[in-house]
Parts: sequence; C-alpha cells; structure tokens
Amino acid sequence: MDVTGILDEHKNRFKSIQVERLVPVEFDLGLMACFDVNMIDEAQLRASQKARDTYLQELSREGAQLMINELFSLPTTVDEDSVYATLPAIRTVLPREKPAPKEKPMTRWEKFAKIKNIQNKKKSRMVYDEEKAEWRPRFGFKGVNNDDQKPWLIEVPGNADPYDDQYKARREEKKERIDKNARRAQRNFEENLAVEKGMKPRDMRKRELQSALVLSKGSTASMGKFDDKLAGEPKVKGLKRKFDPLVKNSDKEKSNNMEILNRVSKGEAKTTSVVNVRKAQRAINNAKRSKKQEK
Amino acid sequence: MLLKPSKAKNARAKRFLVNRDPKIVENGKTALFVRGSTTSQVILDTLKDLYSLRKPDAINFTKKNEIHPFDSETSIEFFARKNDSSLFAVGMHSKKRPHNLILGRTFNYSILDMIELGVERCTTMQEFKAQTCAVGMKPLMVFNGEAFNQNEDLVRLKSILLDFFRGEAADKVSLKGLEYVITVTAGPPGANGETGLVFFRTYTTTLKKSGSRQPRVELEEMGPSLDLRVRRVRAPAEEMWKQAIKMPRELNVVKTKNISRDGLGDKYGRIHVGKQEINKIQTRKVKALKKHLDAKPAKKQKTSDDMADSD
Repeated sequence: MDVTGILDEHKNRFKSIQVERLVPVEFDLGLMACFDVNMIDEAQLRASQKARDTYLQELSREGAQLMINELFSLPTTVDEDSVYATLPAIRTVLPREKPAPKEKPMTRWEKFAKIKNIQNKKKSRMVYDEEKAEWRPRFGFKGVNNDDQKPWLIEVPGNADPYDDQYKARREEKKERIDKNARRAQRNFEENLAVEKGMKPRDMRKRELQSALVLSKGSTASMGKFDDKLAGEPKVKGLKRKFDPLVKNSDKEKSNNMEILNRVSKGEAKTTSVVNVRKAQRAINNAKRSKKQEK
Repeated sequence: MLLKPSKAKNARAKRFLVNRDPKIVENGKTALFVRGSTTSQVILDTLKDLYSLRKPDAINFTKKNEIHPFDSETSIEFFARKNDSSLFAVGMHSKKRPHNLILGRTFNYSILDMIELGVERCTTMQEFKAQTCAVGMKPLMVFNGEAFNQNEDLVRLKSILLDFFRGEAADKVSLKGLEYVITVTAGPPGANGETGLVFFRTYTTTLKKSGSRQPRVELEEMGPSLDLRVRRVRAPAEEMWKQAIKMPRELNVVKTKNISRDGLGDKYGRIHVGKQEINKIQTRKVKALKKHLDAKPAKKQKTSDDMADSD
C-alpha cells in the first residue's frame, strides 16, 4: 500500500513551515537571536510605506519561523505548567555590567591562621541563658555579653584598692577590647590599601603622617613659623617664584606682551597649549603605579 | 588617618549594598529611560514604547533633564550609579538633530559605548490594534541584512540592541512564552555609501498547527515600529572593552576527568592502573619456585636427548 499519498494530503492541510534561504541563517539560540545575511529586496524597501511594511512582515515571519523551528527541536523538559526548551550557552560576546568580583584581602589574623593551619570553629549564634531560662544571642542586640550587671557582685581582688570601682573597671575593660579591635581593623584596612596601590604599608603610613604634619603646621596663626621643629621633619617645598630681569632683550619683551594680548582676545585654550607640568607628572606617576600593581 | 569606607548600619542596608556588588553570574541589566531638555511627541512616544518593551527591568524618568551624553558623560554616569543601571536610552529633539534617540550602555558606571539614532518615523503600540504581549517576556530577535556584519556602526547597533532586549540570562525558555519578535532590518545604503535607514519592527506571534513538531508562526504587528537613521557612534575604549568582556575565572569550569555521578548522587571514579609486569612480581619465597630449579631439569632433558641422537 502506498502511504505517501496519504501523508502528502495530511501535510497539505497545513501551511508549510519550510523557509528557503540561499545562505544558511546563523543562530545564537542562547540569546534567541538569528542573523540573516541573505540579500534583501532593496526595491521593496524603497517602495511605498505599505509595500515596505508588508515586505518586512513577510521577511520577519520567515526569520521567526526559522528560529521557532530551531527552538522547538532543542531538548525539552516538562514542568507542571509548560514545556521548556533548554537553551545552549550564548555565542555572541556581550559586555558585563560590572567587573568580576575581587577577592577580599586577608587580615593579619587570617594570614597567621593560614600559616599555622588554624581552623575556624563555628560557634552557635544563640546561647542558652540558664538564669532567664531562654535562648539569647551570643552578642549584639539583647546579647548575653551586653549584661553589665553580670555577675552583680564582684569580689575585690586582694591587692586592689578597696575604694576602686570594680564595676567601672569592668566597663572600661570591655571598652578597651572594643577599641583595640577597631584599631586592628583600621590597620588591616590601611595595609591592604597600600598593597592595592603597590606601596609598602610602612612607606604609605609615613607619607600619610608627613602630609598630616605639614597640614597641621599651617594651622597656627603664624603658619607654623614659631613652632618647634621635629626631628626629621619634612621640608615643605613651596612654589618658587621666578622673575624676569628688568632689562632684557626688547624682542623677547615684545613677544611676551603679544602673547598676553592674544590670550586676552582669543581665549586661553586657542592661543597656548599650556601643560601643567606638576599635574602631568602626577598623572604619569599614577599610571606607572597602577601598572606595577597589575603585575 | 585614612578613612575606612562606612559600613552598612543595619541588615537591610547591608542587603541593599550586597545586591549592588559585582557578581560572578550577573542579574539582568536595568535600562534607564531619560528625556532631554527639549523633546518632541515622536521621541516621547518612542521612549514610552521602548520602556514598555523593557519593563519590568527598566526605570522611566518622567521629568526633563539637561543631558547630552555625547558632550558630557557625567550626568548619565551619575544616573547609572544612582539607579544601578547599565543600559540607557536618552530622547531629545533639536533643530540640528531632530527626534534624537541615544542608546548606550555603561560598564562599572562609566559609559562603554553608545549610538545616536534619528527617529524618522514612529508608529506606536497604541496605533496598532494587535494585542500586546505580556510584561517581561523575552523576544525573539531577527537581524536581516549583511550590513549588520560589515558596517561598523551597524555592528555596534546590533550589539547594543541585543544587550538591550535580551532580558535576564536564562538556560531554558518556555515554548509557550515565545510571544513576540523584534526584527531589525538594514535598509539600502545611501548614494555616497553612508549607512542606510534601519527598520525596527515588533510583532506578536501566534503558533499554529503544522502537522509536525514545529508549529507554523503567524505575525501581527504590535509596535513600536521605528525607522531609524544612524547619527553619531561612540565605540568603546579598547582597554575598557577588554575588561568588560573578561569572564570571571569561576565561570570557566574545567571539567574534571574520570569522575562521574549517577542519578542517585553516587560518585564514580575511573582509575588507570599502570601495566602489570607479572614476571617481576615478588611472590612467596619457596625453594621450589626458585628460577635455577626450573632451569636445571630442562637442561638435563636436553642433554639426554642429545645423547640419544648421537646414539
């Protein structure tokens, strides 16, 4: 029995899904995009608005059909409500929104722990408070370490002055611990910043101190003129003013004056290409440093 | 003392900041729609329709802003930082550049590249009677014309449009959700070789039975339909582009060889053992297995045979 006739008849009941293209169309199924490089009928595009739109619609339909054909032949997974096609990875190179995340620099303690192979033991966040018969956080809001009244009675140590306030001492000790932690955090931050900038932490700290010193010198009424000098105090380099001699070559004087006139009449930027040497030097130094850091 | 960057004061603020941090796998890009100081109805319609295509990952500025991205980058970069967005569309209108639409993207809150388009004709979604697609659907994108591979401006336009409408990265797509198509067609170039018009069209799809696995697609124009003329183009700085397309190391996962897992989560390893040299294996030391003992009787046999032959 010949089935081809029946099959053809069955097929002819529907419109075709075949699209003919001279050059095969490129797909990027990860983006659900296709790129058709075949010739476009330019006459149609130059024709009237209506003819152009119908041509574009037909062109788009064929493009969409090609893509639907591809998408429907991808491997699928079935969910409760729909059928999902698994998309391949995208092929077109598209830029990211932000650079890849940087690794967080290690603190001094973390470096030390790594060398000594000290593992971090995970403590539970909640601690059972027997007195109040409830679970409370180890630290933070309503934490057990915030209880200043605990223990409410403190024995005076044998060698201590009996009139010292032991409760105050306890409070101050805690504050001291918190401050010490903050100082350590600050040191870690400064050291890691220096490494990031490609400097030695000690050098950077020295530079910071010196610039702070120079600033503080200028904060008295006499601009630090009568202040005591410190050992190894940096010498402040000011701007040296240079004056031309009063009597000089008349040609040079003339050209100088002409330059000033030009600058006034035509504007600064057009007449001279003035480079701020200090600024340029700084830019070069910064570029060098960042290059070093990349290495 | 160098000042440490301030820390978030509460968990909500911390969550907000962490959400903005760079990620290995990024979330979808947010687009910003900004109006310039002077606008026309055409450009307003265009912005509105593009905004409704981009929803919900889009922020629409409804007030005018004195903004000229090609002349000064600062204000658009400021907006990008404030809104944590990396795509922008700026619409403006002037005598010199009528119905001006600027599409661009930023990398790390500074402008990467942008393209300026003149909107020569805009037919809005409202003017078409077709049903619009649901919000937040991913479109199919069709680029027609060889110019999209050859003309430098159009290559840039293609890249920006792909980025603009791709939506969130997904590894699977619902076959029911293929609701609309965006086609971009490069028109014939001008007499002096300048870039021709670009036709931007959007259609809704209806999938019909075709007697096979793949359905037949029919399209109906949905809008916006734009005829665009390319004006100024800002290509990305080479160094910045390199940075932007750099993949994080974590994403280039090297497949480990010889390790597999089955459906139950059991791990299987395939081990390669070197060639076994049976001759050299140390076995139990017994007198009977000694080498010279095997060899001797053989020799004896041989000699007796020899003698027999000679006899």
